[in-house]
Amino acid sequence: MTPAPSGHAGGGRWRPYALLAVPAAVYGTFVLYPLATTVRLAFYDWNGIATPVVTGVGNFVELMTNGRFVPALSHNAVFLVFYTVIPVALALLLTVLLAQDRPVGGLSVYRVGLFVPQVMPMVVVGVVWGWIYSPVNGVLAAVVEALGGEAAPYLGQVSTALPAVGMVASWVQYGFALVLFLAGIQRIDRTLYEAAAVDGGGRWDKLRHVTLPGLRSEIVVATVVSLIAAVRVFDLVFVMTRGGPSDSTNVVAYEIYRSAFLQREVGLAAAGATVMITIILALSLVVIRYGEQRD
Amino acid sequence: MRITRTLGPVLVVLTLAAAACLPGGQSSQQAAGGDGATAGSEAATEAGSESFEGQTLTVWDIYPRGAESEVVEQLNSEFEAEHGVTIEREARPLDDLKVQLPLALQEDDGPDVASVNQGQADMGTLVESGLLLDLSQFAEERGWAEAFGENLLERNRFTEDGSEFGTGNLYGVAPIAEVVGWYYNKAQLDQAGVEVPETFEELQAALAQLEEADLTPIAFGNSEGWPAIHTYGAVQHTYTDTGALDDFIFRRAGASFADDGSVEAAATVQDWAEQGYFTENFSGIGYDASWGQFAAGEGATMLTGSWISGELDQQDYGFFLTPGRDGELPPQIGGQGVPLAVRAGTDVPELAKAYIDWMTGERAAELWIEQGILPARVPESGAVEEGTLLADIVGAWDTVLEQNQLGHYLDWASPTMYDTLTSQLQALLAGRAEPQEFVEAIEADYTSAQ
Repeated sequence: MTPAPSGHAGGGRWRPYALLAVPAAVYGTFVLYPLATTVRLAFYDWNGIATPVVTGVGNFVELMTNGRFVPALSHNAVFLVFYTVIPVALALLLTVLLAQDRPVGGLSVYRVGLFVPQVMPMVVVGVVWGWIYSPVNGVLAAVVEALGGEAAPYLGQVSTALPAVGMVASWVQYGFALVLFLAGIQRIDRTLYEAAAVDGGGRWDKLRHVTLPGLRSEIVVATVVSLIAAVRVFDLVFVMTRGGPSDSTNVVAYEIYRSAFLQREVGLAAAGATVMITIILALSLVVIRYGEQRD
Repeated sequence: MRITRTLGPVLVVLTLAAAACLPGGQSSQQAAGGDGATAGSEAATEAGSESFEGQTLTVWDIYPRGAESEVVEQLNSEFEAEHGVTIEREARPLDDLKVQLPLALQEDDGPDVASVNQGQADMGTLVESGLLLDLSQFAEERGWAEAFGENLLERNRFTEDGSEFGTGNLYGVAPIAEVVGWYYNKAQLDQAGVEVPETFEELQAALAQLEEADLTPIAFGNSEGWPAIHTYGAVQHTYTDTGALDDFIFRRAGASFADDGSVEAAATVQDWAEQGYFTENFSGIGYDASWGQFAAGEGATMLTGSWISGELDQQDYGFFLTPGRDGELPPQIGGQGVPLAVRAGTDVPELAKAYIDWMTGERAAELWIEQGILPARVPESGAVEEGTLLADIVGAWDTVLEQNQLGHYLDWASPTMYDTLTSQLQALLAGRAEPQEFVEAIEADYTSAQ
């Protein structure tokens, strides 16, 4: 390493590190250390108070065989559809309808309107949707009955609870994706659409060859952010169903909470958290790599 | 109030010792001596109470809501005034409190007194870790076993290593009691021509009759899943006896859940769901909403705990216990509420114990009754107005204790039983599990926890 050319003899060389020390300490204390501790605890049996006892991979074996964690994981997979696939697809569709090959008017209205669900705390969203879905004086039940249908306890039956919570997640997420895409599409050179039109391209060709490539980085961001949200979803489930009925909406994060704080099996919870972190990292890497390769 | 002849002198000595270590301790020491000398026949009592002068007690309780919180505030301020102490109170729901307690109880400035949930997963873990103070000696001095019933205190007992439940040291006592039974809307029963049932058969007939009269026989909301534990438990209790239930809950050798009674009880509640006896769409209705509806006149009966009695009209509603198959009283779900316990590392153990004694004493019972809530200490007859809902509940509670028919919350049977029961009962009531499968799932949880 070359010594820094700046004036202060000796000081210059260490200065970048000195400046880094504070953020590094903060990051180390509040991110890396807890993360490392979590991973370490995954190999212990611990009730949160007494001395932890090493169990090796025992917690991971229990996760795979206790009949709770794997179903929870599969519910997260369903949430991927509601958190990522539906919102991104819907936002793309709306973007195309609203903005492809013409400038968007009144963009700030969309931004504010569609971003509101993002700004609302998820707990509030969950409580409000809980009312909407309620069979007692719920808005949805009233609408269904007005249309001649029969209202059902949407959050209370196994067949509908997971999609009912999932739709709320889609409602929250699509606004975020739409705002990203609307901003991104402004950057696409208008002349590309004109060129496509000259070449005889229709709407579909414009979408495939101009809009989608132009929005790639926004799509990657929206996908990564919503993937992470889907894997770690807790708040909506906690507020709306507590994992029920019959564990049909139980997800990994809720299972971790349950193990750590209700059953006092902190090691098991740490093992679950380790699995969750690994999945998030892996999915994010795949999506980001995929996005980069296409550039 | 009943600060104690036997303990008074001990407290004085302790406080003097403590005061001597503290700056400013001198003056309170003198004050204690001075007052004690003036007080005639109640000298010991006075000296005992004065001896806490200036101390601070931190209390975390689970009574943040309306009527309950008022009672606690009132009792606290009377206690503060009498002893010249300061109470720092924090009230939060049980679900929050039980998450925070394991850490808070390890801290030097943690709560001196806290509401600690019963059962192996909560109180058992804290005992195992040496975080709670053994109250056995104090309980003996105060005659708690007599005042509350030894079989009730049993549920707050653990061996010192936390391994055995229902025996050993005593770690807490609760201010209020609970009994699960049938609230009924008097007008609606009259309307359908239904009498309070004396046998389980009559109960079944009454439910059918209410259904025929186009009433909702049982107000029910089960979106959280736990209300069904009470519904099922009450029916299951009619097939068993207290001995078998104690064995099951305290996990004594040979205990099992897999018997015909458990299966038949499951079939009964499943049948109730199929017959439409429960509130329509109950699986999507929360517990609070369900008793709210019942209080507003929707539903002829509601099978739940005495804890909602303060929320219902005292004249319009009555209460009866689940009747037995042979007309004899079967075990009834109930017991003490969540007990108050003392942190092992507290600096003021005597004050903490005195506080618990006060919170569970006669004055406390009086205030709980005023708010329509069943106190843990059985009140003298005549303390409750005749013909009211609370009178029914107090009478029912007395009957349960007299006949020694106290049952159990089934979810105490293992650390994971709460989840298993809520999940399996939701499946049972939705017709997605057969009674036999349901019982097998419960038994599997029970045996795997050994």
